[in-house]
Amino acid sequence: MTENALILTISRLEAQQLADLVAQFSELLEPHAVADADASDASNDPALARLAPNPYPDDADAAAEFHDATRHDLLERRQHDALRVLADLAPSFASGDPDDPDPAADTIDLAIEGDAGWAWMRTLTAIRLVIATRLGISGEDDDHDPEDDRFAVYDWIGYRLDGIVRAMETAD
Amino acid sequence: MGVMSIALPDVDREVRQRESPEHPAVWQTVVWNDPVNLMSYVVHVFRSYFGFSTDRATALMMDVHERGHAVVAEGPREQMELHAQAMHDYGLWATVRRIPR
Repeated sequence: MTENALILTISRLEAQQLADLVAQFSELLEPHAVADADASDASNDPALARLAPNPYPDDADAAAEFHDATRHDLLERRQHDALRVLADLAPSFASGDPDDPDPAADTIDLAIEGDAGWAWMRTLTAIRLVIATRLGISGEDDDHDPEDDRFAVYDWIGYRLDGIVRAMETAD
Repeated sequence: MGVMSIALPDVDREVRQRESPEHPAVWQTVVWNDPVNLMSYVVHVFRSYFGFSTDRATALMMDVHERGHAVVAEGPREQMELHAQAMHDYGLWATVRRIPR
């Protein structure tokens, strides 16, 4: 462990659920994070569009130019971040008893070192943006439908993100 | 129509003046409110990326939250685009615009 590592104490079950979510996010990015991706594809999906917003809402030409020049790289950086988070989560799979009767009680300390803290924060933020877009969350006071598990996932990722932000602030 | 044909050349001249090497046009990077991003995270991004003090970062975050947007940088267009790109990397919603007159 380096002295700059942030330690995330998490149950193996939660780590695996998180890895599952990050892997889904990575799959969403995959077709758009390759060199010959058609930039217009990404703008057809509102969630991907939110991950690469339009900086010129009043100037279609400037917006198109900006997106052509930057969108692919941006999504590639997001993919890179997501893979880093998955790598940090990997130790939660490597050990531990697969037949553990209570994986929720079996915790592990994950080390998030150096720049990986930002990869985590950006990825968790991006996943929340995708979920919010899918759920149509448009206001701070939107009612959370208790029947829809995605709201619980959204709040859970927010809780983990806030914890990491606070830990990073303390480490500064 | 007559008014337009007189007015347009004046606008053009002003744009040219503003964008001459001695007087580069001044642009802004604007961050807009969204219901998703956590306040703690936005403050952390402003502090880390722009090097703002906690007080300044917090004040800007509150402007975004309460007024709907905040100007986080001003300068040449290319630089403002780089800032907007960085904000997008962090998941913030940023736009670039010429300073409103």
